[in-house]
Amino acid sequence: MTTNVEFGASVDAAPPVLSVHGLAKRFGGVVALRDVSLELRPGEVHCLAGENGSGKSTLIKIISGAEFPDGGQIVVDGESRERMDTTSAIETGIQVIYQDFSLFPNLTVAENIVLTSAVAQRHKFHNARRARAQAKEIVEELQLDLDLDADVGNLSVANRQLTAICRAMISRARVIIMDEPTTALTHAEVTNLFVLVDKLRDRGVALLFVSHKLNEVLRISQRVTIMRSGAVVTAGPVEDFDIKSITKFMTGLDIDDVRTLPELSPEAEVRLEVVGLTLPGAFWDVNFQVRKGEILGITGLLGSGRTEIAESLFGIVPAERGTVRVDGESVAIGSIRDAVSAGIGYVPEDRLTQGLFLEKSIADNIVASSLSEHRTKWRVLDRRRIRATIDELFQKLHIQAPNAKAAVRTLSGGNAQRVVLAKWLATNPKILILNGPTVGVDVGSKAQILDLLREQARRGMAVIVISDDEPELVACCHRVLVVTKGRVSGELAGDDVSVETIQQSMAV
Amino acid sequence: MPSLRRLQGRNNEGTLLLVLIGLCVIMSLLNPVFFSINTAFSIMRSTTVPLILALAVLLVIISGGIDVSFPVVAIASAYTSVTLMLNFDFDYGVPVVFLMSACIGAVLGLINGVVIARFRLPTLIVTLATQGIFFGAMLTYVGSRYHPDLPPSMSRLSTVNVVNVVTSNGKAYLHVLVLLAVVVALLVWGLLKWTMFGRSLYAIGGDYEGARRAGFRVVRTQVLTYVLVGVIASLAGVAHIVMSRSANPQDLVGGELDIIAAVVLGGASIFGGRGSVLGTVLGVLLIQVINNSLLLVGVPGAWLRAAVGILLIVGIGIQTVSARRKARRVHSVEDAATPAGKEA
Amino acid sequence: MPKNDLSTGLRDTNGRVDSLVRGMVERARDNRGVGRMVLVFVASFTLFAALNPRVFLGPINLQNIMVSAPEVGVIAVAMTLAMLTGGIDLSLVSIANLSAITMSTMYTALGASSPGLAESMAVPILLAGIMVGVLCGLLNGVLIGVVGITPILATLGTMQILNGLAIVWTGGSTLYGAPSGFVTFGKTAVATIPMLFIVFLAVAISIAIMINRTALGRKMELQGANPVAALFSGIRSAKVLLGSYAIGGGLAGLAGFLFLARNPTASADYGTSYVLLVIVIAVLGGANPNGGFASVAGVVLATLTLQVVSSGFTALRLSTYQYAIAQGVILITVMIVDAITWPKLRRGKKRIASGAPTK
Repeated sequence: MTTNVEFGASVDAAPPVLSVHGLAKRFGGVVALRDVSLELRPGEVHCLAGENGSGKSTLIKIISGAEFPDGGQIVVDGESRERMDTTSAIETGIQVIYQDFSLFPNLTVAENIVLTSAVAQRHKFHNARRARAQAKEIVEELQLDLDLDADVGNLSVANRQLTAICRAMISRARVIIMDEPTTALTHAEVTNLFVLVDKLRDRGVALLFVSHKLNEVLRISQRVTIMRSGAVVTAGPVEDFDIKSITKFMTGLDIDDVRTLPELSPEAEVRLEVVGLTLPGAFWDVNFQVRKGEILGITGLLGSGRTEIAESLFGIVPAERGTVRVDGESVAIGSIRDAVSAGIGYVPEDRLTQGLFLEKSIADNIVASSLSEHRTKWRVLDRRRIRATIDELFQKLHIQAPNAKAAVRTLSGGNAQRVVLAKWLATNPKILILNGPTVGVDVGSKAQILDLLREQARRGMAVIVISDDEPELVACCHRVLVVTKGRVSGELAGDDVSVETIQQSMAV
Repeated sequence: MPSLRRLQGRNNEGTLLLVLIGLCVIMSLLNPVFFSINTAFSIMRSTTVPLILALAVLLVIISGGIDVSFPVVAIASAYTSVTLMLNFDFDYGVPVVFLMSACIGAVLGLINGVVIARFRLPTLIVTLATQGIFFGAMLTYVGSRYHPDLPPSMSRLSTVNVVNVVTSNGKAYLHVLVLLAVVVALLVWGLLKWTMFGRSLYAIGGDYEGARRAGFRVVRTQVLTYVLVGVIASLAGVAHIVMSRSANPQDLVGGELDIIAAVVLGGASIFGGRGSVLGTVLGVLLIQVINNSLLLVGVPGAWLRAAVGILLIVGIGIQTVSARRKARRVHSVEDAATPAGKEA
Repeated sequence: MPKNDLSTGLRDTNGRVDSLVRGMVERARDNRGVGRMVLVFVASFTLFAALNPRVFLGPINLQNIMVSAPEVGVIAVAMTLAMLTGGIDLSLVSIANLSAITMSTMYTALGASSPGLAESMAVPILLAGIMVGVLCGLLNGVLIGVVGITPILATLGTMQILNGLAIVWTGGSTLYGAPSGFVTFGKTAVATIPMLFIVFLAVAISIAIMINRTALGRKMELQGANPVAALFSGIRSAKVLLGSYAIGGGLAGLAGFLFLARNPTASADYGTSYVLLVIVIAVLGGANPNGGFASVAGVVLATLTLQVVSSGFTALRLSTYQYAIAQGVILITVMIVDAITWPKLRRGKKRIASGAPTK
C-alpha cells in the first residue's frame, strides 16, 4: 500500500496548478486525514474516490479554505503555504461546486452566475444589465442552453449544476472541484455534463471529481486517487483500474464472495402483489410479486424510475393507476398513512432529513412510527412496553451508543441507519422497502445491515431493496428487477444474479 | 403568457395593483365622494408613516429576519430628540432634528444587529427583548411625558403643504412629509436594485450558509441592515411626531404586527429572499384604501383589523396552495425527463 | 437465609435509589430550560427578598404573585405547545379576549331577562368561553395543518381577525359583568393558595402529561423536531397540528375566564403586551423556537420568575418601565449564554446536515 504517491514518472509534463503534501487533520480525537498528498495538473480530470467518511470532504474543505489543516503543505503555482482561506482560494482560482451547489434559489440564473465574482472583487454597486451581459457571455461561450432570467429555484437539478459551473468559470477558475456531481442527474444529463467537462478541460482547467459512484466517473477521468480511513491508499492513471479493483481499494474487502440468501420455500405465499402500477411521467405498467421471506432487488440507472416506484408504494407520490395487494387483499395507497396501515415500512435514501429526528434520542426515534400501538387501555402511553420495545431493538440491532438516550445526531452512518430500521421493525411491518440501505454506511455495518434484512426475511417479511450497488444486490436478493426508463426491462433470479449480469441488463 | 407573467411581477405586485385599482373603481362607483383629490391626499397622508416603517421592515424581511422593535426605535429616537431640544431649549432646524434622531436610531439598530449577527440568535426573540429594553429605557431615562408643544422648527414644518388645491369639496392639502416617504421609497429601491449591499441582502435571505460560503460578508451586511432599519425607522418617528403635532412616547408602539402584515401582503416572503419596494408600497396603500373605503361605506373603522387579517390569510393561503401545486408539477416533469413521449 | 435476603434487598433498594437519582440528574441535564430556570428563579427570589424583605416576603406580595401569574402562565403554556410543533401562535391573547367578551356578553344577556338564571349558568358560560377558544384554535389548525400557511403568518392573520371581531363586538369599549361565581372563584384560596394558581398548576400538569405520556404529545414533539421525518414515519401532521392549536386555543379560552375571575371586565385590547411576553416566557422556559423541545415545568418557572421580578421591582419602587428593561435583559442574557455554550453542538449539526462525514 503506498501512502506517498510519486507522480514524477507521469508522462504529463505540465507543472501542477495545485498540489497538497502530507496533509493531516484531526477533529477532536478522531483522525480525519493523515499524510494525504494529491496533485492537480491543468487540463486533467482527476477522480477522488472513497467511501463516505474516508476523508474526501475534509480534503476538499482544506483545499477550498473552509477548514485549516493541522499539518502538511498546500502548493499553488509552486508557491508553498501552510493553509488556505476562502478568499485566497477563490483568488487563486479554486472553485468548489458542492452537492447542494450553494446557489440562491430566489435570484435569477444571471445573478447567481455573476454575484459571487462581484463580491470577490469588492464591488459596491450592481448593474443588472451589465451583469446579465457578463452571464450571457459565459453561457454562450460554453454553448449552454440556460434561461438567464429564470429563478434558480425553478430550475432542474442539472441546470442548477450548469449554473454553478458557469459561476465558477466567470471567477476565472483554474481548479474546479465537484462534489458528487452525478448523484442527482439522469443518464442524459450526465452525458451533457461530460460534454461540458471536456470543454473545460480543453481550456486548461483542472477538474477534481469527488465521488463514490464509479461507472460514470471512470468514463471521464484521466487519473484516480483513492482514499480510505483518512489516507490515500492508491493513485494512478485510470487505465490501471477497473470498478472491481477500485471497490476493493475503497472498502478494503473482496466483494464477490458473499451471496447468502435466506431460505425461501417454493410454497411461500405472495405477500405483495403489484399489478399495472403507473404514474405518468415516472413509471408505467409495473408488475411484480414478492413472497413471504423473499428479498427483491430493484435497480436501474439514476432517473430510471426505481426510486419513484418505491415512493409510490409508500404513498409519498401515489401512483395514478394500478393495483396493490397485500396478502391477497387489495389496498388503496393514497398517502403515507395508508401505506403504514397496510403494513408497509420505508427506509428512505436521504435518512438524515427523511428518516431521522436528529436532535431527538435514539429511544424517541425508535418508537416514532409505533406510538399509537404502545398505548394502555386508558389511551395513555404504556411506558413499560415502550421501554421493552426500545431495549429489545437497541440490543437486537447492535446500535452502538452509550444508551438509548443519546441523540441520533451523535451516531455514525451505520448506527443511524440501524435506528431507522428499528423504527420500522417496531411497527412489525409485513413489507419493508429500503432505498439505498447502505448508502453512507461503513463496510462493517454494511454486512450487518444486510444480515438484518436476511433475518427479517426469514421471519416472513417481504423485503424490497432499491439500490444501484450491484454487489449489495447480489449479496442478499433472491431476484433483481431492472428498471429502464420507467419500465421493468428485465428480471434476474437465482444463479443469474451477479454483478456482471446486472450491469449488462442495465446497459441495454 | 410570458408577458402576462411579467405583468404579474416577481412577487405578485401586478395582482396587488389589480386588486387596488379594482377596489378604487368599486368605491368610486359606490360613493362618488371617494373619487376625489381630497381622498387621494388624505390616503397619502395617512400612508406616510406606515410606509416608511414598512420599508424599514422590508429590508429585514428580505434578509431573512424579522424585527418587532422598529416602532419603539422610531418613537424612542424621535421622542428623545424632541425631549432634548425642549429640555435644553435649542433648535437648529428640522435637518438637525432628523440627523439627531437618525443617530439615535442607528445606535439602537446597531445593538440589534450586533446581538443578532454576532451570536446568530433568532431575530424575532432578540428584537422582542430589545423592544422591551429600548421602550423601558426611553420611559425611564428620557421621560414619559406627553409634549403637546413641539420645538418651533418642527411645529412650523407640521403646517407646510406641498400642494394646496381648492376643490368642489373644499380645500385639499398634501403634507410635505409625503415627499419624505417618496424619497425613502426611492432610496430603498435604489439600494436594493443597484448596490451590492442590496443584492447581498437577497442572497443572505435566500441561503445564509450559501452566502457565507460564496464569500459574502454576512455579519457585516446583517449589522448594517439593522442599523439602516434603525435610521429609517427614526425618520418615520420624526415624521409621526411632526404630523401629529405633539410628542407622545406611547405612540406607534404595538403597531409592529400591522406593519409586518402590510409588508407580507406586499409579497415579501417571511422566510427571506423575496420582497420589493413596489409591493410594499402597494401593500401599505391597499390597507389605507380599505380603511378609507370602510369609513366611506359606513362600516365602522373597527372592521379594519379584521379586514386586514382576512386579506392576509386569503392572500397567503392562495400563494401557499399554488406554490404546493407548482412543486408537485415540477416534480413530475423532472421525472419525465427520460421517457418523454413514450406515453401517448 | 434471611440475612442474605436482607442484604440483596438492601442492595436492590440502593440500586433503585441510585438509578432514580441518576435519572433525575440526567433529566435535569436533558432539560436545560428547567435547570436554568430553577437557578434564575431562586436567584431573583433571593435577591429581592434580601433587598426588601418586609414588602417582598409579605403575604400580600406573595399572594399577588400567585394571583397575577396564572393568566399569563396559561397562555404561555399554550404558546409552548405551538412552539413544540415548530410553530408560534400570535393569536392567543386575541382568543382569550374574545372568550372573555363572549362570557361577559352571555352573562349580561342572560341577566337582562333573569338575573338568577345568569348566576346559575356560570359553568355553561365558562364552557362556552372555552369552546370559543377551541374553535378559534381549530381555525388556526386548519390554516396551518391543512392549508399549509406558515404559523407566524396564519396566526398573525387570525390575531387581526379575532381582535377586529372583538373591537367590532364591543365597539372598542370595556364590557362589565361576569357571573359572581367567577369573581368568588377568583377570590377563593385553599390553604392560602389562590384557586387561580391551582388552576394554573392543574393546566400545567395536564399539559405536561399530555406531552410526555400521550401519543399525540409525542407526535407533536416529533413534528416539531423534523416535519419531513414525521411525514415519512406515518405521522398525520394535519391531525397533530389541529390538535395542538385546538388545545392551545382552549387554553387561551380558559385564560379568558381567568381574566374575568380576576376582574369582571372584558375588552378587545386587554393584555396586548402579553402577546410578546408569552413568547419570552416560553423561550426562557426552554422551548426551542425551531420546534421539538419544550418544557412545561420550565414555563411555569419562567412565568413565576417574571412575576417575581415584576413584584420585586414594585417592592423596590422601580417602575414598570424598568421592569420592561429587566425582562429584555434577562431574555438576551439567557440567549447569549446559550449561544456561547452551544456552538459546538450547532457546528456538529451542520456537518451532518451537509452530508459530510462525522468521523
